[in-house]
Amino acid sequence: MPMFKPLRSGREGSAAGLGVLADEELMQLVYTGQPAAFEAIYDRHADAAFSLAYRMCGQRALAEDVVQEAFLSLWRSGARYDRARGSVRTWVLGVVHNRAIDALRRRTVHDRGRISDEGIEERLAAPERTDVEFARRDEAREIRDALEQLPDEQSRVIELAYFGGLTHVQIASMLDAPVGTIKGRMRLGLAKMRMALGDPTEVLP
Amino acid sequence: MSIDEPRVGPDGCGGNAAPYVLGALTEHEHEAFARHIESCAVCREEVAALQLVASALPAAAPQLSAPPELKRRVMSSVRADARKRESQELRRGRASEPGRTSRPAASAWLRWRPNLAVAALAVAVIALAVVALSSGGSAGGGTRVIRAQVLVPRASASLSVSDGHAQLSLAGMPQSAPGHVYEVWLKRSASGKALPTDALFTVAANGAATVGVPGSVDGVREIMVTSEPLGGSRVPTLPALIVARVS
Repeated sequence: MPMFKPLRSGREGSAAGLGVLADEELMQLVYTGQPAAFEAIYDRHADAAFSLAYRMCGQRALAEDVVQEAFLSLWRSGARYDRARGSVRTWVLGVVHNRAIDALRRRTVHDRGRISDEGIEERLAAPERTDVEFARRDEAREIRDALEQLPDEQSRVIELAYFGGLTHVQIASMLDAPVGTIKGRMRLGLAKMRMALGDPTEVLP
Repeated sequence: MSIDEPRVGPDGCGGNAAPYVLGALTEHEHEAFARHIESCAVCREEVAALQLVASALPAAAPQLSAPPELKRRVMSSVRADARKRESQELRRGRASEPGRTSRPAASAWLRWRPNLAVAALAVAVIALAVVALSSGGSAGGGTRVIRAQVLVPRASASLSVSDGHAQLSLAGMPQSAPGHVYEVWLKRSASGKALPTDALFTVAANGAATVGVPGSVDGVREIMVTSEPLGGSRVPTLPALIVARVS
């Protein structure tokens, strides 16, 4: 049985034409410098990337910069995707997360006022169009529920760390608690979420 | 993983797994812990378990649509890079045309793992012999030519098999990405593992390459090519770009 459908349509594959390929196959083409393959990857994961960046940065312009930097670094650096470490989506979001943390930590305390772009959630709310998007929306609800069901002290440290980009020392200082306590709350919170989510394997590809 | 039992390694190192997966360590701490988990199975196991949850956290953010102008900016940069790279490849191609002396021509840039130089030389001799037979048009008879499936648009590949040895001929392949090289793999059954070979190669400026497949292909079901980091991999990191079905 062939491993994939041969693709020789036109001089250069279009993002739409490449839509039949799995993310991992597209990544092979990205490494050979095919913009259309990169565009297909972008189309699949840009909304999730922007949502994460905006949730972390709280400002549209900064979130856009983070997503742009992250995707261009994937394209230019030849950073290696390793499927043993998870899906392409998880990998892309990991890069976005790291870039957003860098951006947040570069900002001075003076800049750290979380001024949200008013109404952006309504203007840019992602529509639910396909079965995959419906499934992702359900998955997102489960994850939010699992986070909200944690004791406040545990959900707070997880949110401050993951979405706020703060270090465990900064969180300990902010909450006036020992560093060891903060680390313990993080671990307990994540472990409880893992049990609540039924040992999730990964986010949807 | 039990919630009630803190996971602490033999040297009392268990506390950093959660801040590590949440990105809550400083850069210095992060690097130190990354080195630590290479040798500490307890922490490595805990990181793997917690990472599953941390990887799911992006879904907890309100889901928005990325602004269309952001895609225009990103893809504009990407296409500009691709055009620049293509023009560089074209310049390299012209430089290697016969009659030009600015750069030595290389029809197939086979690269071998340095520690296997002797074996590589032997295989290269076999490959050259196969090339000679094919190009001389006298291979006929026992030579079987198989068209390979190619994932890359515009590229093509064929496999010539003769006397239990095979040679891949590629055309229109893109240059390897920086820090990467193409690698040839053998598969002995449909469900079996892909076995690495020492055939690591790049393609000429025009995207062509002729690669001798090391060893005998008797009993080999498929020959594959993937893009791998320099030095090659022991397990394919991504699906194959080229697959030739031998039997």
